[in-house]
Parts: sequence; C-alpha cells; structure tokens
Amino acid sequence: MEVVTKVGDAVGADSLVPIKSAHVLAHYSSLHDAGVEVLERFADSGGKFAVPTSVDPASIDLQNWRSFGIPEDYARMQFRLCDAYARLGGMRCWTCVQYQVCNFPKQGDTVAWAESSAVVFANSVLGCKSNKITSGMDLACAILGQTPRFGMLVDENRKAEVSFKLSAKITSDLDYRSLGFFIGRNSGSRVPVLVGLPAGVSSDQVKHLGAGAAAAGPVTMIHLPGITPGSRTPEEASGEEKVEEMDVTRSDLEGVESDLDQTNETPDLVAFGVPHLSVNELGELAKMLEGRKLRAGVKMYAYTSSQAYDMALRSGILETIEVAGARVSHSTDAEISPLKRLGFNVVMTNSAKLAEIVSSEGEVRIRYSSQKKIIEEVTN
Amino acid sequence: MKPLILSGRGLMEGNAEGEAIVSTKAFTFAHGVDPATGKVTDVRSDVRGSNVGGKVLFYPFGKGSTTASAWFLETVRLGNHPAAIVTEGVDLSAVIGSVMAKLIYGKDVPVVSGVPRTAYTEVKPRDRVRVDGGTGEVRVER
Repeated sequence: MEVVTKVGDAVGADSLVPIKSAHVLAHYSSLHDAGVEVLERFADSGGKFAVPTSVDPASIDLQNWRSFGIPEDYARMQFRLCDAYARLGGMRCWTCVQYQVCNFPKQGDTVAWAESSAVVFANSVLGCKSNKITSGMDLACAILGQTPRFGMLVDENRKAEVSFKLSAKITSDLDYRSLGFFIGRNSGSRVPVLVGLPAGVSSDQVKHLGAGAAAAGPVTMIHLPGITPGSRTPEEASGEEKVEEMDVTRSDLEGVESDLDQTNETPDLVAFGVPHLSVNELGELAKMLEGRKLRAGVKMYAYTSSQAYDMALRSGILETIEVAGARVSHSTDAEISPLKRLGFNVVMTNSAKLAEIVSSEGEVRIRYSSQKKIIEEVTN
Repeated sequence: MKPLILSGRGLMEGNAEGEAIVSTKAFTFAHGVDPATGKVTDVRSDVRGSNVGGKVLFYPFGKGSTTASAWFLETVRLGNHPAAIVTEGVDLSAVIGSVMAKLIYGKDVPVVSGVPRTAYTEVKPRDRVRVDGGTGEVRVER
C-alpha cells in the first residue's frame, strides 16, 4: 500500500512491523463525500482487514437518528460508510473507547489506532505501542496488518522527557480533564510523566485525562507511575534521566477552565461522553439526575457505545436518565455530530476535548463546567 | 530581487506553481478549512479568512485531529485544495491526503518538508512560488 510506504519514507521509518489490531475512522462529518469514496473504493476492490479492527463513533446515532433530528440525506452518507466498513470486515462497535468494548490487545502488543484519546490509553494504561494513526492510513494499516516502525513504536522514544507534579487536590470530574489539557498544552512534542494522581483513580478518569491531553497537543502517551507498565516510578519512566519538572496548581487548572469556557449564555445542548461514557459513568449520571427534571429549552445527551447502552437499558439506568428529561445516544458523539445543522449554538460540557475541537470553527460556543455544576444549572 | 531558493525534502512528487499563503502557526484542515470554499476557518489561525485554493500553502507544523487528511482530501474532491504544501516539520496529514488525492482523484499536490524556519518570515503572501515535490526545491519569485 502506497500510503503506508510513503508515510514510512516521510518519517524515516526503518521497517514495517506487524500489528495485533487496528482502529479506524468512518464518520461522515470528518470524512465527507471524499471519505465515502475512499472506503467504498477499498471495499469494492475486495479489500479485507487483516487484523481485528474496530471503528470510531459514527456521525449519527445508528439506531435512533431520526428522533435526534438527523436529516435523511446526512444519514444516508453515514450509512454508506457503515456499509463499506462492514464489507471490509470490521467489528461494528462504533465507539471511541474500543478498549472498554471489543478491542483487547495485551501488554506489549503493537497496534495501529486512530482516535487520539484511545492511543493515549493504549500506550499509558494497556502498555501497548501505538502511534496516532491519521485518517486514510488507518485503513491501509488495517488492510495490510502492518505499520511503519517510528515514533512510539521505538522504545527509545517512549521515555518521559518532562515531569508534571499535581499539587492541586482533585475535587471534581472536571479536574481530570483540565489536568490532561494542561499536560497536553505544555508538553510540546515531549513525552510527559505525571505524578500525584490520587491512588484510587479509576480507568474512566484516566480515559478523560488522556483525552484532554491529546486534544490540547501531540501527546500520545503519559507515563503514570504505578499504572503504566514498565514505569513503576518517575525515574523508571524517564530511564533515570533528569527531566524538566512542572508543578500543576489549582490556578493552572482554573486557567484551563477559563480558556475553554467561552460564554455565559444559556446552553441549548448539554453533552456528556466525549469520549464515550462507560456503563458505570452512565450509572453515576443517572444517580445525579434522579428526582431532577431538565429545564425547557435545553437538551441533555449522554453519549456512549451501543454495548453500554444495552446494559444501561437492562439495568434501569436508561429509564432514570430519560425520566429526568435527558437522553442517551449511542454509536456517535457530539464532537462529530452536525451540531450546527441540528440547531445547537451553545454547548455545555465537561469534556475538554469537545470544548477544544468544536470551538475551533467558531460557530458553536462552549461552556465548560463539571457534571455536578452543569446538572445543578440546567435541572430543577 | 533575486529569487529565494528553499531546499527541503520532497515527500510527494509533482510540480506546482501558485501564490504563497503563509501561516506562521501550526495548521490543520480539520475544522480549520471549509472544503466547500477553501477558506481558512480556524479561529486560532493567523491566516483565517484567506483561501488556500490554488495557492502554495506554507505552515511550520500540522496540529490537531487525525482527520485532517480527510478534510484535505475533501478540498481536493471539490477543487479547492492548495497547489502544494510546504512545511518545516513532517505533517503526516498532508502526506496522506496527497497520496489519497493521487489515488482517488488522480491529482498531484506536491508536499515538501524540512524548509528552514526563516522561510515563514521571508516568504510573503502573494509571492509567486514554484514547488518541485520530487527534488524538494521551492523557488520563490519576489
């Protein structure tokens, strides 16, 4: 495949190496008509994925898109992508947290994943080796079952080169996102190590930390001593090298908040789940919404995988959320939805990733706040 | 004035000529360029409002989403793509978008990287630029 060899040449890769799994992008909002042509071309030519391959969320809720107001013509293009992807033999998971759903490489495996937040999770938590694979190359790697050896696939490049020490006390879900964003913004192209996370940090919290970091900069790995395989201590993370140290204080986290929070306007959409919420996070949301009612004029969508959606349905979580007037949307998320076309102008979220990416076009304005504060503001 | 010759590394072959558009900040096509017009929409870009269509696009580095290659390819489909891309660091989105442009639409968008940082102050908007994506030579008429 020319894509893979050209990229290999461009980055000076010394070889192609086999991968254990791939994760690709197939959502219409970014791929556009050209991307539909690319996927259909690959599928029509009889291409098949050579390794287990998962896929990022679609641009629409694949089941309930009509009730979310998605126009027919838009849905049709997304379904063409879905069809071509299925013909290539991919797992139909449509999630950005494939590592919580269907794509389970083991420690030490080399993988080729698109979706920046999942790449951080793979390198930092799973102990896999992945570069952030660009759209177009993701398909090529999946079909070839190989990827150029460069960047995070080379052990020497995985050493921590800058150290962040959290001196602020974590007080909300927002802090993990803001902390990640701060690290992403201040690491540049260096690999960071983070010390000072609470001992009881959950995998979901690490997921949002990594997503914030990857949205703010080129970060593809954060060494988390005690969590990251092979990095029991900061010294082990940096290969015993002395590295620059940065303190992360409360005012640093507040700085991120004020950067991402652009307006005081009343939101017309509240979006949770960029990246996708786990079923446990949906449960926590349901608990917070119990006995509350969403105010008129604002919609609240929680985005998740279809698998977590099914579990939430079976366990009554979904009902609690819906009784409060909110909705759970699966197989998609706000970042890749046609927000403007759906009439949303002000989006309130606790996702640093969503805040950063959506605001770059300047059409949709963002309010950035913790889940608790958001719920207090938009419900009775 | 004597032409300025920048020698970089050719990452995608092809010859192209056009007016320069010069961003001194990291650049992305993803949510950053409207494929339907070629206009730069990124609120953080220093060339916001300019059009990349038919121009030789200079930027030091890529940034942001891994979907930038797909946004770039859509500008190619609609004919609003730059004539060539010249960067300091390697931007894989440009390389991949350009490979796809050739593969799917048969269009050459040469990509050169490794030009010196000084290029981004020396090259002025509307300078006439010729790019050889094979040799990596970028010739700027001033």
